[in-house]
Amino acid sequence: MTDASPDLILDARDVSKVFGGLTAVGGVNFGIPRGGIVSLIGPNGAGKTTFFNMLTGLYKPTTGRIVFDEKAITGGRPDKIMALGIARTFQNIRLFGTMSARENVMVGEHARMRAGLFGSILRTPRVRREERHVSDKAAEELAYVGLPPNTFDQLAINLSYGDQRRVEIARALASDPKLLLLDEPTAGMNPQESDELTALMHRLRDERGLTILLIEHDMKVVMGVSEYITVLDHGEKIAEGLPEQVRNDDRVIEAYLGKGAVHE
Amino acid sequence: MTAAMGNRNVKIAIFLVGLFIVAILPLFFNESSGFIDDCTLALAYIVMALGLNIIVGFAGLLDLGYVAFFAIGAYTMGWFASGFYAEADIHVFVGEFASSIPGIHVNFLIVLIIAAAFTTLAGIVIGLPTLRLRGDYIAIVTLAFGEIIHRIAINGDEVQIAEGFPLTNGRQGITPVDKIDLPFIEPFTSLNLRPWYWVALALALFVLFVNFRLRDSRLGRAWIALREDEVAAISMGIPAVKTKLLAYGTGAAFGGMSGAFLASYLNTVNADQFAFSFSIFVLAMVILGGLGSIWGVVLGAVALTFINYRLIPDVLNDVPNKVGLDFDLSELSFGIFGFLLVIMMVLRPEGLIPERRRQMELEQGIGTGDTELDLVEP
Amino acid sequence: MEAASLPAAKPKALRVVQDWLSKYGLIVVLLAMPVYYGIQDLSDEGDLSRLGGNIVDGLSNGSIWALVAIGYTLVYGIIELINFAHGDVFMIGSFTAAGFFGTIGLTAGMGIPGLALGLFLTLLVCMLTTGALNVMIERVAYRPLRGAPVLAPLITAVGFSFILQNVGLLWRGGSQEGIGDLINSQNTLFTITGVEITNGDLLAMGTTIPLVILMVMFITRSRLGKAMRATAQDPEAARLMGINVDTTISLTFLLGGMLAGAAGLIYALYQTTIWYAQGFTAGLIAFTAAVMGGIGNIKGAVLGGLIIGIIQQIADNRIGTEWTPAIVFAYLVLIMVFKPSGLLGEQTREAG
Ligand SMILES: Nc1ncnc2c1ncn2[C@@H]1O[C@H](COP(=O)(O)OP(=O)(O)OP(=O)(O)O)[C@@H](O)[C@H]1O
Ligand SMILES: [Mg+2]
Repeated sequence: MTDASPDLILDARDVSKVFGGLTAVGGVNFGIPRGGIVSLIGPNGAGKTTFFNMLTGLYKPTTGRIVFDEKAITGGRPDKIMALGIARTFQNIRLFGTMSARENVMVGEHARMRAGLFGSILRTPRVRREERHVSDKAAEELAYVGLPPNTFDQLAINLSYGDQRRVEIARALASDPKLLLLDEPTAGMNPQESDELTALMHRLRDERGLTILLIEHDMKVVMGVSEYITVLDHGEKIAEGLPEQVRNDDRVIEAYLGKGAVHE
Repeated sequence: MTAAMGNRNVKIAIFLVGLFIVAILPLFFNESSGFIDDCTLALAYIVMALGLNIIVGFAGLLDLGYVAFFAIGAYTMGWFASGFYAEADIHVFVGEFASSIPGIHVNFLIVLIIAAAFTTLAGIVIGLPTLRLRGDYIAIVTLAFGEIIHRIAINGDEVQIAEGFPLTNGRQGITPVDKIDLPFIEPFTSLNLRPWYWVALALALFVLFVNFRLRDSRLGRAWIALREDEVAAISMGIPAVKTKLLAYGTGAAFGGMSGAFLASYLNTVNADQFAFSFSIFVLAMVILGGLGSIWGVVLGAVALTFINYRLIPDVLNDVPNKVGLDFDLSELSFGIFGFLLVIMMVLRPEGLIPERRRQMELEQGIGTGDTELDLVEP
Repeated sequence: MEAASLPAAKPKALRVVQDWLSKYGLIVVLLAMPVYYGIQDLSDEGDLSRLGGNIVDGLSNGSIWALVAIGYTLVYGIIELINFAHGDVFMIGSFTAAGFFGTIGLTAGMGIPGLALGLFLTLLVCMLTTGALNVMIERVAYRPLRGAPVLAPLITAVGFSFILQNVGLLWRGGSQEGIGDLINSQNTLFTITGVEITNGDLLAMGTTIPLVILMVMFITRSRLGKAMRATAQDPEAARLMGINVDTTISLTFLLGGMLAGAAGLIYALYQTTIWYAQGFTAGLIAFTAAVMGGIGNIKGAVLGGLIIGIIQQIADNRIGTEWTPAIVFAYLVLIMVFKPSGLLGEQTREAG
C-alpha cells in the first residue's frame, strides 16, 4: 500500500504536524487508490481533522510530503489545491449563512469560473452565460445530493441539519473534484439519513468516478462503504487494512475502548 | 416569474423618475447657489462612500485610512493639472486658458484615469501588509497608512522629487488647480456650479452601477464568502489574497477619482484636508447608511454631508439669534455632529437602510465569531 | 512529477531570506533606530549619553502612553471595541488636573510635603472623574448597542470623542495653554553615566510603575479581576457561571478611565502644556501601542507604550518632530508585518 504505484491518487509520506509541543499527527504514511472509498477513523483528538487540514492546505505539515495526482501539494495554498481537484466538507458545518443553498454551491464553482473584475462590471454575454450555467449546475448538484427542489433558494442556515450536510457536499461537488474529503458527514444525522448518505457515496464513486476519503465515527457507515480503513490514535497510525481486519485488531479496540477492553 | 419581472420594472421606473428629478434639480436653483454646492459635495462623497463600501461593506475589511486615497487622487490632480510645477511646460488636450499658462496641464478625464490607476496601486500596496491580519488589526494598519500619507502631505514641501519639483505644497496647498475643461463644452467656472454638479452626478452614477454589478457577481459572492467564513471560502477555491486586493484596489480607485474631482472643484490640494477625521467621516456615512447596503450608503453620504455643511453651520447657528440669545453655536459644531452620530447609531444600529445579508448576520450571529484562520502557525 | 509541483518551488535563496526575516525581522526592526544612532553617537561623541537621554525621555513619555493604552486594551479585551473616545477621556484628565490645581491653589513655590499631598489629591480627583466619565460613556453609548453590528459602537465612540473634544474646547479655549510647571520638571535630579534623570522622569515612572503593578495584581488576584478575565474570554460562559457581565464591563471602563486620568495628570505636569485636541493624537498613539503589544494583553500595552515613547523621542530628537508620527506608524506597519498578532499577542486558532 505504501509503494508509490501509479494508481494512488493521493500519496502522503511521513506527514506530521506539531502544534507547540503537541504532536497532532506524527509521521503518517497514507495512500488512497484512485476510485476507492477509504476511511480514516480514530478516537477524538486522534488527529484526523488535522490530517485533512494538511491535505487541503489549511495547515502546513511540519514534516513530510504529499503528492496528489502526481503533483506535489505539500504546504500549497488551499484554493490552489482545491483547483487541482481536492474538495472537502467540514466537521462543524461551515456553510455561508446569509446565502441560499444555491448561492453556497455557486461559491464552490468559483475556481471553475472565469468572470473577472471588468467582465463582472460590464456583464458581458460570456459572463451572463457563465452565471446562468453556474446557477443551473448548482441546482443539478443540489438535486443530485437529494435536496428537495423547493429548498434551493432558501437560506442555507434555515435548512434541516441533514440538508445542510447535503448542501455542503453539493458545494464540494460543484468544483468537479477528483478526490472528495468528508469529515464526519453523518454526525447529527438520523439512521435513515445516514443510509441515504452511504448510498450517495457509492453513487458518487460509481457514476462520477470520484475517490472518497471519509472520516467517520459511525461504524455502521464506515463498515458499509469502506474498502480500506486506516486507524489513527494520538496522531499515529495504529492499524490499517480491510474492514474485517481492522474490526478485529486488538490495538484498535483498545484505542477506542481503553486498555483491558479487548474482550469488550 | 412575471410578478418578479413586474416588480423589477417598477423599480426601474422609480429609479428613472428619481434620476430625472436629481438631474434637473440644479435648474431650479441659482447657478452659484450654496445648495448646488452642497449637493455637488454630497455627490462626490457618495462616490467615496460607495468606494469604501466595497472594502468595508462587501469584503468586510475595516479600513480606517480611506483618506489616503482621497489624498492621492487629489495630488494626482495637483501634479498633473495645475501651475504647481511651473518649470515644466506640458499641455495635453487642455483648453485655451490652461494652454497659456506654465505648469503641467493635462485634460481632466485623463487625470481621472491616472488618479484611478495611482490609487488602485496604493490600495494594493496598503492592502498587502493587512492580508495576514484579522479584523481590527487591519483597521490600525490602514489607519497608520492614512496618517503616514497625511504626514507626507504636510511635510512634502521639503521633499524634492527633482530640483524645483517638490512633492506637495504642504499646508499652503497647491492652488489654483485647473478647472474641468471638457471637449465641446464651455470651460467650467466657479460662478456656475451646475456643470460641476452634473459631472459629480455622472461619477456617482458610474460608481453606483459598478457597486450593483459587483455585488451580484462571482466576485461579490467571493467577498461575502470571505467575510463570513474565511476558512470555508479559501477551502472552496477562493484565492483570499487576490480577492481581497481586488476589493482594496477598486474601492481605492473610486476614492482617487472623487479626490481628483474635489481637487479641481475646491480649487486646492491642501495637506490639512487629509486628516484622520476625514476617514472617519466617510466611514460614518457607510456605517450610518447600512454597511454593504448600496442605497443605504448613498443616503448616509447625503445625510452626513448636509448635517456637516448645512444643518450645523447654517441652520443651527441661527437658532440662538432667532430666539434672542447672544450665543455662538459654531463653537459647538463638532460636539453637535458627535451627538447626532451617537443618537442616530443608538436609534438605528443596523443603519438607515440595512442590507439584507448584514441584517441576517446580525440576527443570527453569523460571521461574527472567530471564523478566520490564522494561517501563520506557531 | 516535480515539474508541476505546487507551490511553484521558490528559489532556495529567497526561502532562506524569508526564513531569516520571519525569525529575526522583528528584532531587526525594533533595534534599527537605537543601534543606528548609538553607533553614530559613539563615532561622533565617543559615548552613548545622547541616546541614553533619548531613551529615558522616551520611557517617561512612553509610560504615559502605556497608561492610556491599558485602557484601550482592557476595553478591547472585554467587548472587542476600539474605544475611540478614550484619548479624549485622557484629555479630560489633564483638564481636570489643571482645573483642580487652581481650585486648591497649588503652586510651584509650596514646600515638598504640601505639593506632594496636593498632587496626590489631584491624582485621586482626576482618576475618579475620568473613571466615572468612562463608565457613563459606556452606559450611554455602548451598552444600548450590545448585540448590534460590530461596527456600530465604533461610530458612537467617534461621536463621543467629538463631544468630549467640544467640551474641552468650551472649557479651556481652542489654543494650547501653558500651565504652571509645578514640579520643576526639567530639573536634573541626578545623572547616571552621563544620562540626566529629571523630576519629570521620576514623576512619570514613579506614578506609572505602581499603578501598573496594582492593576495587574487586581486583575490576576481579585475576584472582580478574575470575573473580568472570564468575561473577556467568553461572556456567555461567564454569565452562566453567575458573573454579572454588565457590572464587570462597567468595572473595566472604570479602571481604564482611572488610568487615563492618571496619565492625564502626569502629562499635564510633564509637558506643562495642554489643549483640547491632545486626546486625539494621544489616543491614536496609545491605541497603536496597544495593538503593537498585542491587543487584549496588558503587558503588551505597557511594552508597546514604552517602545513608541522611545521611537518618538529618537525621531523627535534626530529626524524632526514633523516626521515623528509617520515614523511611529511606519514602525507599527512593520511590526504587524513581522508579527501579525502583536508583540505579545496569541496566535493559534482552530480550522476545519
Ligand atoms: N490549530 C490548532 N492548534 C493547536 N492544537 C490543535 C489545533 N488543531 C488541532 N489541535 C490539536 O490536535 C489534536 C488533534 O485534533 P484533531 O481535530 O485533528 O482531532 P480529530 O481526530 O479530528 O478529533 P475529533 O474526532 O474530535 O474530530 C487535538 O489534541 C487538538 O487539540
Ligand atoms: Mg475532527
